[in-house]
Amino acid sequence: MDRAVLGPVLAEVGTGVTSPLFKRCAALSIVSLFALGPVLLFAGGAQASYKLTPYQSSRKNAGTPNSTMVKKNSDGVIIAYGDSSITYRAPSSALVTLGAALFQQNCASCHGTQANGVPANGTSGAYPDLVGLGPATIDFWVDSGRMPAANPRSIEANRRVPRLTHDQALAVSAWVNSLSPSFPLIPYPHLKNANVADGAALFALNCASCHTIEGDGDALALGTFSPSLRKIPSIEVAEAIRTGPANMPRFTGNLSDAQVNDIVKYVTTEIQHPNNPGGFGLGGLGPVAEGFVGLAFGVGVLALVGFWVGERDD
Amino acid sequence: MSDVINTKRSKQQALGRYGRVGKTLDELDDRLGVARGGRTFMDKIFPDHWSFMLGEIALYSFLILLVTGVFLTLYFIPSSAIVTYHGSYAPLDGQKMTQAFASTVNLSFAVRGGLLMRQMHHWACDIFVGAIVIHMARVFFTGAFRKPRELNWIVGSTLLILAIVNGFLGYSLPDDLVSGTGIRIAYSIILSIPLVGSYLAFWVFGGNFPGTTIIPRFFILHCLIVPLIIIGLVSAHLFLLVRQKHTQFPGKGRTEQNVVGSPMFPVFMAKTTGFLFIVGGITALLGAFAQVNPIWQFGPYDAARISYAVQPDWYMGFLDGALRIWPSWSFHSWGHTIPFEVLIPAVVLPGLIFNLVFVWPIIERKFTNDNAIHNLLDRPSNRPKRTAAGVTMLSFLGMLFIASSTDVLAKFFNVSLNDVLVSMRYLTVIVPILAFPITYRICHEIQALHGGGRRKTPNVVTRSEEGEYSATPSPRYVDDVPSHLEATPVPTYIHEESDESGDSGVRVVDR
Amino acid sequence: MTDEHRTPVSLSGLPANDPHLQPAARNPKLVERVISVCFVVGTLCLAGFGACYWIDAQPWKLGATMGGGLLFLGVGIVAWGKYLMPRGPFVEERHTLANSEADRQAFAAAIVERGGGVVQRRKLLGGLLGGGMGIFGVVALFPLLRSLGPLPKDTLQHTDWRSGSYVVDQSGRRVEVGDLAVGSIETVFPEGTENSDRGQAVDQTVLIRVSNEAFTTMKGRETWAPHGYVAYSKVCTHLGCPVGLYEQELQLLVCPCHQSMFNVTNGAVPQFGPAPRPLPQLPLYVDSSGYLRSQSDYHEAVGPGFWERK
Repeated sequence: MDRAVLGPVLAEVGTGVTSPLFKRCAALSIVSLFALGPVLLFAGGAQASYKLTPYQSSRKNAGTPNSTMVKKNSDGVIIAYGDSSITYRAPSSALVTLGAALFQQNCASCHGTQANGVPANGTSGAYPDLVGLGPATIDFWVDSGRMPAANPRSIEANRRVPRLTHDQALAVSAWVNSLSPSFPLIPYPHLKNANVADGAALFALNCASCHTIEGDGDALALGTFSPSLRKIPSIEVAEAIRTGPANMPRFTGNLSDAQVNDIVKYVTTEIQHPNNPGGFGLGGLGPVAEGFVGLAFGVGVLALVGFWVGERDD
Repeated sequence: MSDVINTKRSKQQALGRYGRVGKTLDELDDRLGVARGGRTFMDKIFPDHWSFMLGEIALYSFLILLVTGVFLTLYFIPSSAIVTYHGSYAPLDGQKMTQAFASTVNLSFAVRGGLLMRQMHHWACDIFVGAIVIHMARVFFTGAFRKPRELNWIVGSTLLILAIVNGFLGYSLPDDLVSGTGIRIAYSIILSIPLVGSYLAFWVFGGNFPGTTIIPRFFILHCLIVPLIIIGLVSAHLFLLVRQKHTQFPGKGRTEQNVVGSPMFPVFMAKTTGFLFIVGGITALLGAFAQVNPIWQFGPYDAARISYAVQPDWYMGFLDGALRIWPSWSFHSWGHTIPFEVLIPAVVLPGLIFNLVFVWPIIERKFTNDNAIHNLLDRPSNRPKRTAAGVTMLSFLGMLFIASSTDVLAKFFNVSLNDVLVSMRYLTVIVPILAFPITYRICHEIQALHGGGRRKTPNVVTRSEEGEYSATPSPRYVDDVPSHLEATPVPTYIHEESDESGDSGVRVVDR
Repeated sequence: MTDEHRTPVSLSGLPANDPHLQPAARNPKLVERVISVCFVVGTLCLAGFGACYWIDAQPWKLGATMGGGLLFLGVGIVAWGKYLMPRGPFVEERHTLANSEADRQAFAAAIVERGGGVVQRRKLLGGLLGGGMGIFGVVALFPLLRSLGPLPKDTLQHTDWRSGSYVVDQSGRRVEVGDLAVGSIETVFPEGTENSDRGQAVDQTVLIRVSNEAFTTMKGRETWAPHGYVAYSKVCTHLGCPVGLYEQELQLLVCPCHQSMFNVTNGAVPQFGPAPRPLPQLPLYVDSSGYLRSQSDYHEAVGPGFWERK
């Protein structure tokens, strides 16, 4: 157990972080470890007992086990954490064997049999290394149908009809996670605790600049696209926000779980089920579509009516 | 015996030949002297051609703007004071926003008929500017701007500019995320003017962006000042039209000295009133079924927030397109910056275009040396140079409009955004340059065709007993006898070699 | 109907049985019936509008009834005018707008001789009045322009970032050095300005974690990005839109308005699009408590260009 706590502390120091904060925390944790070891184990909040990967933040209640609630299984492995906004749960360990088989069938040809991005022909780094990315990342890519990739050489993998079912995706993520357990776990947002108005404000500040304020997505730089948000289940929205797939930035310590929950609620209610009291939404394309409709149906139809009202040349 | 005999007939006779109406008109004439002028006015002849109705679309959509606009002013609060919204729209409930935005959301959800009025107002504006553009195109391509109507052309071009400006001011009033971005861009454009830019920007906005006075100022401009100018100019436009009488296409019985058509009362009034109702009806149907400017989905404006796919309303698209495709030329020396990448597309280019529009009648007079009075219109194909110039300008503007939607195009056609933008840079130069000779050629081809550009009449071909074919025009309607359009002659025989061709072996076929 | 009937005639002096006064429709009775149907349907629609308004129906019902009503009435009225009223065509003579030569001479004489004579004889008065009117025109502009707003002075050259300003998000929470993971982006402000208009418009800054170690974007900026936190002004140098669109694999900040693309790793130099200058970078440091703070204000004016921008 000492190693488990000392390990990350040393790792932090080892990565060249020389700020006095970490030195202080390291000293504190070593002292408190000896003094409060058993208490730490069950309280589970003060100091991270997992490896802080490059994807994770040290902020509390921001998608890492540094959260109000942490649950471990009998082996001391964290299987759930979170707060009243989002509960992060690990996929069941019973799925690992199934996941191994599915991975070898569907993914190993590119990502390698060890999921480390070294495929059969041995070219290291040709495909992304999946080890240590956390179950939420893997589940997002597979469950949205982006993986298995249709064209590995395309600029970005687009959402398609998923080839694997939800449970199969969870199984694959369970197996990959078992190689090197990491975070974030699969998020399950509690939408009834969310505030849709806060979600709207957060969406406008953080998401609208790529996905458009109506959530329809658009073309970005150099052949990349931000996808439409109209048909995405709530778990995937939370996964995308926390893990930042492909070109999408990840929102770690900049959004708390409560804020992510608000955004998920806003997306799954207002964006996906807009009440358009004014009539047809015109595809959410904004003024471009309005211009077409106004000119074609407005001016065009009226010009045709004028064609009837007036005379033609005899 | 009484002097007055009270019978129906004597009452009738006392009223005079035209009854009560006549008596009322007599009273009016006593006070206003309207009898002769009124008769002349009602006898005024208006040519009937359908393309003359395009200006009426603009006029009537303006009336709809006025009526719906008055409704909106009763509920809209032009203030930038911050309030907390508590209303029926959940995603905004509890959010802080300006009173302008809150009152617009209130208008859309809590005022009965408010959303319909807002949407009718917005659609009527889109139609208004569109109708002005095609009306202007009709006037241009038929040469109706020539003497004596150059003044009306200037009035009309000014109306186009005012309509565009008022539209921009109007959709910026709700202070939502999308239009607020437009205001930020407008501020930066003013800022870019050399020497005086920062002063002008601070004066227009009452300080640095965004300030708190821009919405109230836009409100006064949009609801009072610009509409008053527009009303004045529209009245001048119509007055000139009535005084100078409408132009007409050449045809049977039409000369430079007369006008052929329907009299003002009752025929023209009936048609034009009906058209007003139809314009109103179409606008109301659009307002009912096509959602426009759903500001509640955009949320209130915050200078740190932005949405992607933010284009201005269509009539500002040429400015947005020019700003997107213009290369990043910026002059930066000797302690000063002149941002040409903003100045040229947003200030210089529209200035040049509109100045060209304004002085076109003078340019054409210089080129054609034609100072005569023209009351008969040209067929566009009969003036190839003017038509080609107009098509070139329209295709240039069209390219700029398309350039404004580069991201939507890239998304729709699934191509790289960068490629779309680079292609638009090339196309904006190439397409207008190609448009001129192509249009010129097409005009000449139409001229060369017998009956080109006119309504075609079918021929009834009969064969006599000797085997000779003859063709006679077949009227589609019993009363429809097109007199001046002769039947297209059926080819009868092939010429021998003619001297024209010069080359032996070339057949010239009579068409 | 022969050719002669399509010859335009003058309105006055027409006999009552002239074919020009006949309706254009071949079957006026049928047309009349159709028009009456149009009027009835239109009236019913408009009555329906009244009813829908009374029961507070949805907006589309209000619009549909109003639109249908106006449309049917309008079609009916146009059809009445087009098919049932005198078909014409009628003709009217244009009278030359220009008056006779004698009138024109008299008009010109009135202006030139009378007016000109006056000014010619009193040149001094004319000149002085002209000068006065000119001055009036100029000073009349003063309240119209100058009272509208303050002088810009130095306002555009600086933001509210100072040496030691805490970096806060829009809710006012201070950003700590462990907050963002690599690939995260946040909109930040100097503490105290996050709720003000000026803060949002001018001070807004994007904070991006590009690495776990100190990062150098350009020569001379080695200390500006501690722990891999890079901060750029969010105000686009083209026209001032917030540059919030971050693509983390391409390492590009894209402006949503006109698609200028700034390279995050080399000092936000624009590599595509109309923006002329890189986004100014905010020098950061991490203090002893682990909070991110700014070393100073931006080293240049943020946002779009203007004349006085050095």
